[in-house]
Amino acid sequence: MTQEDLAARVDVTRQTINAIELGKYSPSLEVAFKISRVFGKPLEAVFSWPEPGEQGDDEQRSEEKL
Amino acid sequence: MMSFREKRAWGTLITLIFILLLFWLHIPPTRMLAPPPDVWVLHVLMMMIATFVTIQIIVGIVMRIRSPRDARTPKDERERLIELKSRAIAWYVFVILSLGGIFVTLHAGANEIGLGFVVLFSFVVAEIANYAMRIYYYRRGF
Repeated sequence: MTQEDLAARVDVTRQTINAIELGKYSPSLEVAFKISRVFGKPLEAVFSWPEPGEQGDDEQRSEEKL
Repeated sequence: MMSFREKRAWGTLITLIFILLLFWLHIPPTRMLAPPPDVWVLHVLMMMIATFVTIQIIVGIVMRIRSPRDARTPKDERERLIELKSRAIAWYVFVILSLGGIFVTLHAGANEIGLGFVVLFSFVVAEIANYAMRIYYYRRGF
């Protein structure tokens, strides 16, 4: 699935999907749920939030998962 | 690739800078504090506004023809947040410039038209800051 396809299915721009993928923008819950529904996976399987002191950051994680 | 709204922001930013420079060519900064209370000052102002609106309409039409699908897409949450953040910064620019400008120009012996120009100048600079910040956030991602 391309960024363009995903953007069209969750009603955002392709640039917003790109910013989410790169971890530069944290989407609202509404968009986050829409994205997880598109993938048919629970929210926590698509997005995660690092605990303080955890290695790596959210940016890398979001990128890997998306 | 740039989004439709980023392209629009570039268009508006360049037009605003162009109009500001054009205005300075007609009324040099040295004459801004106390411009003659003639009708031509008003004419120059109206001409600048008309030029700005015309350029904006042309740029808008050209962009809509070039990317009609993007033009129809409504703003998403990230774009709305970028607009809000940029406007908040522009508001501070406007308040600081206009209040500071009025204070300074009053002491420099500005007349009413000169004060009006200070407020107008502050507004234009604030709008330039607004669109510059939008472009910055669009480039950065958020």
